[in-house]
Amino acid sequence: MVAVELIVRDLAFGLMLGCVFSVVAHGLNIIWGVVKVVNIAHGEFIMLGAYGAYFLNLFAGITPLESAPVNAVIGLLVGYAFYYAFLHRELRNKQTITLQSEMVTLAATFGLSLFISNLAIILFTGNPVGVNYNPGTLQFGYLHVPLAALYVAIVSILIIAGTWLFLEKTFIGSTIRAYSQDVTATELVGANPATVASLATALGFAVTMAGGALLTVWVPVGINPLMGALYAPISFVIVVLGGPGKMWGSLVGGLTLGVLIDLVQAFATAQIAYAAAFLILIPVLVFRPGGILK
Amino acid sequence: MNIQKPGLTLYGLFIVMAFLAAAALLFGVAVSSILVFLLIYAALAYSINFITGMIGYVDFGHVLFMAIGSYALATLVSYYGANPLLGVGAGAVLGLVFALGIGLVILRFRGVYFAIATVVLVLAAYNIVLQFPQLGTGGEIIFNLTLQPLTPYFTIWTIVLIEIALTYYVNRSRIGFGIRAIKSEEDAASSVGVSPQRLKLIGYMLGGLFGGAAGGVYSWSTSGVTAGPAFDFTFSLLMLAMIIIGGVGTSIGPLLGAVVVYIPSYFLLTSVAQAQPLIIGLLVIIMALFLPDGIVGLLRRSNERLRLVLE
Repeated sequence: MVAVELIVRDLAFGLMLGCVFSVVAHGLNIIWGVVKVVNIAHGEFIMLGAYGAYFLNLFAGITPLESAPVNAVIGLLVGYAFYYAFLHRELRNKQTITLQSEMVTLAATFGLSLFISNLAIILFTGNPVGVNYNPGTLQFGYLHVPLAALYVAIVSILIIAGTWLFLEKTFIGSTIRAYSQDVTATELVGANPATVASLATALGFAVTMAGGALLTVWVPVGINPLMGALYAPISFVIVVLGGPGKMWGSLVGGLTLGVLIDLVQAFATAQIAYAAAFLILIPVLVFRPGGILK
Repeated sequence: MNIQKPGLTLYGLFIVMAFLAAAALLFGVAVSSILVFLLIYAALAYSINFITGMIGYVDFGHVLFMAIGSYALATLVSYYGANPLLGVGAGAVLGLVFALGIGLVILRFRGVYFAIATVVLVLAAYNIVLQFPQLGTGGEIIFNLTLQPLTPYFTIWTIVLIEIALTYYVNRSRIGFGIRAIKSEEDAASSVGVSPQRLKLIGYMLGGLFGGAAGGVYSWSTSGVTAGPAFDFTFSLLMLAMIIIGGVGTSIGPLLGAVVVYIPSYFLLTSVAQAQPLIIGLLVIIMALFLPDGIVGLLRRSNERLRLVLE
């Protein structure tokens, strides 16, 4: 019975970890899906979100769950500024993004990632910090579930559902979806492409930085300036697994990855688990380039 | 096909290389131990230039080939007592073989998908290397060699020289025209008879070959290899930064980039050195957004005569 208990426990933790992975990758998914640009500095904004939660906890005494909305508001502003600083020049007056522009945005956001992570090392030092948030545990038979992780998992799913509702049911959301399908046609029906694209980027950043706050529950003593180097690749894999631009794709990709890591870890080492999690990207790209969702 | 005679850029680069050789011979160990790392940086920059510079596919994982070369030399030297030169050769061959295998799969992905595939491959390789006890605890191999700084120096010097000549040749040859056609528009290129898959693979394999060779010399000069630093993204990022700052795809850009990235890090005090990656990051942002051809592009734009001479 021990083995079954072990698998059930790993599955439960894998699912909860997967939820927070999903929300961390979700911001990247929105930007990638709508604006067709991959932000290489994505991990650095997750890191800034995590530090945001840490400082809010330190100075205002609020929990990561409460600092997520604060982070989201900051993220909106940062994303808006990011669009005009990095993407606007390459995207304006273009129907589809060219390989050349793609390279420019990759290189520029790569420079940004170097800049932010090294600035963070100078400002925050390399020492890892953590947020202490422990509302207790919930018991299902032999399964002890930390409430913090459960809350974070629920909030993560709510955030993804919220962005889906926003894009499907609201007028601005429809405009953003229209932009992701056809820039020229969107312009023809009277929407300013730059406004739409900047809104989508801002939304993506808000989710990313809120996700960084939620992530602090899973890394109690591991918030450090270089954490982006792990969470950015994880986000890339998740978005490719789910398919860029598919809102529920983040959740599917995140859960797949979370369960994969925890289950492989149960039978092999953590290194093999992470190697498998990263390598899964290659066959998916070869056989299902649009993601595992239809 | 109209292929012009070698121009001033090539002669200029050869003069710089001759100067570097003379400096090492005249001043010996003191100078060559500084310059050997400059040349390793330059060799790495030229090697990634074959991929990102020429084909236009952003490669974040080029450090993989460097690590393969480092481990090849370290294993041969420390376990089999082989001549380090043989290790460098083995690193180059392994780099080429791995580039062939990896390239066959990931060169099918375009743009961002290729970039992301290169990122995850390095992370996966790092985690796998830590699994092998043969590669030492924590993937660390350290060996002792009697110090002959001039041998690794002239090895890497030769590698850089070959790279410069090859970069220059490829840029002006039929292959180079095909590769540039892929860079501007891959589908259009294949419709006029260029075979993108084959040319991309050639570029990628050249990158792997020289990346492996440079990695071998790197572990030779540092007398060892550790998984952490060997697969550290810092090197990948520095290589990319060097060619973006110097000028992607050009024959002179990688060397300029290596000088800009390496020399300050050597001379700055440790307290200031912390700010160096910050400045490199800022430079990369500025170059990427405003000066797509790096320093070379800036020089070309500023002076009519330089525009004709620099390649």
